[in-house]
Amino acid sequence: MGLILRFQLRQSISLTISEPGESTSSEHHPNSNSFLRGLQVALVESDDLNRSVTRRLLEKLGCSVTPLSSGYECLSAIGPATSSFQVVLLDLQLPDLDGFEVAARIRKFRSRSWPLILAMTSSSAAEEDDLWEKCMQMGLNGVIRKPILLQGIANELRRVVLQANRVV
Amino acid sequence: MDRNQSHRQVATMKQSLFDQGYLDHEQFNQLEELQDDANPNFVEEVVTLYYRDSARLVHSIEQALEKSPIDFNKLDSYMHQFRGSSSSIGAKKVKAECSLFREYCRAGNGEGCMRTFQQVKKEYTALRKKLETFFQLARQAGPVDRARRPK
Repeated sequence: MGLILRFQLRQSISLTISEPGESTSSEHHPNSNSFLRGLQVALVESDDLNRSVTRRLLEKLGCSVTPLSSGYECLSAIGPATSSFQVVLLDLQLPDLDGFEVAARIRKFRSRSWPLILAMTSSSAAEEDDLWEKCMQMGLNGVIRKPILLQGIANELRRVVLQANRVV
Repeated sequence: MDRNQSHRQVATMKQSLFDQGYLDHEQFNQLEELQDDANPNFVEEVVTLYYRDSARLVHSIEQALEKSPIDFNKLDSYMHQFRGSSSSIGAKKVKAECSLFREYCRAGNGEGCMRTFQQVKKEYTALRKKLETFFQLARQAGPVDRARRPK
């Protein structure tokens, strides 16, 4: 099982999907972010504005983004059946379901380490010492602070993806 | 008008918005970085989206402030959202007033909330006018030739 997981992970991360119109982004962010290209990301964010901006950021990094706007939508898209998402970016402050609840359900349906789940939260909440610990306990892999900046999200994604590669 | 002159005007206005604290330069510059040939009007689209979505929130907050007794939890929740999206477009002064509002909210101070909300609306409206002018100027100047823009 572990072997299959590793093979999937390696294969997925090494995908390079070239898209028309994205040539300027690869010149802006060369090798350091190139392994994020083609990364299948589920973006779960209820605020329309934040979702638009974050989606654009991720696309600029070369990710393949599926925008979702609620906890339930997220669970339907991920669910127990196979899904192609490698990473889930999860807003903790969703209006319908608690972000941790969503993460717990994903972990229940899927394996402990797949997909990678990153929490997105406002700075004031992220400053709480136990937030990081709670995230780790709930099976999340990382935390991204809002408002989201390109380098911040790239760094955290890189850290989490590299870590996942090392573990297996 | 000379194209370079128009672009300089746009740049000058943008810098003054940063200098006067209306916009956070990091956030706003990032939005501009996300604009490209495939998404040539991204910044204006995002700002339009912001004003459209937040209009609903402003209305909800006004209604919540009129209720007696005030539901501070609900207010805080609305304001959290409002602050979040204001922050995403770099609306610096608006965000600052929102933070102040939330402090009054947490203290259960209805009077303070109402006073601060007037400030929130004032900054929100002032920024909208500035940005309308800015986008008008930008549209007149035409798209920046990004391929040749010095790094």
